[in-house]
Amino acid sequence: MNMSKAEQRTAKAAALRAEQQKREARRRMLTITAVIGVMVLIIGSAVGYSIWRNNQDKADLEAAAGSAGASAHGVAIGPDDAPHTIVIYEDFLCPFCGELEKQTHEDLARLAADGKVQVEYRPFNLLGRSSEDYSVRSLNAFAAVLDAAGPKAAKKMHDLLYANQPSESGPFPSNDDLLDLAVEAGASGSDVKDDIENAGQLDWVTAATDAAQKAGVRSTPTVLLDGKVYTDFSSIDDLASGLLKAVE
Amino acid sequence: MRGATHQWAGLAARLVVGAVWLVAGGLKITHPDASIAAVRAYDLLPSSLVEPVGLLLPALELVVGLALVLGVLTRGAAVVSGLLFVAFLVGIISVWARGLEIDCGCFGGGGADPGASSQYPWEVARDSALLLLSAYVVVVPRTRVALDRVLFPERSPA
Repeated sequence: MNMSKAEQRTAKAAALRAEQQKREARRRMLTITAVIGVMVLIIGSAVGYSIWRNNQDKADLEAAAGSAGASAHGVAIGPDDAPHTIVIYEDFLCPFCGELEKQTHEDLARLAADGKVQVEYRPFNLLGRSSEDYSVRSLNAFAAVLDAAGPKAAKKMHDLLYANQPSESGPFPSNDDLLDLAVEAGASGSDVKDDIENAGQLDWVTAATDAAQKAGVRSTPTVLLDGKVYTDFSSIDDLASGLLKAVE
Repeated sequence: MRGATHQWAGLAARLVVGAVWLVAGGLKITHPDASIAAVRAYDLLPSSLVEPVGLLLPALELVVGLALVLGVLTRGAAVVSGLLFVAFLVGIISVWARGLEIDCGCFGGGGADPGASSQYPWEVARDSALLLLSAYVVVVPRTRVALDRVLFPERSPA
């Protein structure tokens, strides 16, 4: 049976429309693919740049940090020829640093005494803004003990400051409290009183802080294990156990 | 609202959310170490995922922001934007519930921060508002001044 002329026309128009819709759909798919391609390319280059930048930052920090025991702004325990070295940049007020200290200071002291590791603590001022702030006052007191009574007393002072760490929101120990800690650490009160009460070691505080910032330390605790920035941890517990396991 | 109003409101929503992403991603992309530290501070991911996520997030934020501002693949970008806000809300609320005091690292920075918990309500409110705007763009993807209009003209009537 033959289609009428009108029916033929309708069928032809429908075929044309279908063809056109197919072409549009194809063009749509191509465009979407192209746009997604561009996006993936941007994400890829941005991530690539980040990875490069991150490695660069780490390499700069590792170069600037040098080896444990080599800094003028820290206190080291353990022998120079220990098979492992750890450098810890920290702020006396930073709670994560306090947590890390709580979990590691005894074990690290034991391992250092056994000659298994050399640990250098490099406190600096990350959180304080003025010389009235606790980060600065505590670091100033630490420097006063280091200056007056040597590294052994300074390490004791460091441990005492963390054992008595205040909350970040205060209340903060007074300078008199810091003086008591300094005496407990082994400094003679008359040697450190003036420095602690009048921010007498502010130059040391500034120099230590400049050195850490120039090295690229932007957060605390920043830890270097055997000269490499240690980043393979998800929490402070993880960091503490990872470090101890590595040097045990 | 009438269709035309929705199209203009959609444009405004797109621009606001997109600009926030561009700023957030742009501030973070130059400091990958801070971005990684910020992700780590949430203490939610296994250590092997912290670095990849810290590196990927700023790039993803930039592209989502770019797509929303330009109005290209608008609906898809708005869906990703909404999912990211849901993830950030979960992160902040979980930190809040666990009593951690961290800088959310939303616009760079991150890590421990004294008194950060006072910021949590505002951060949750902000991210919720941005999540709603993203959802609005998912519902009204066809907006004014969008590249989508050039790339994907209205279908010819069937």
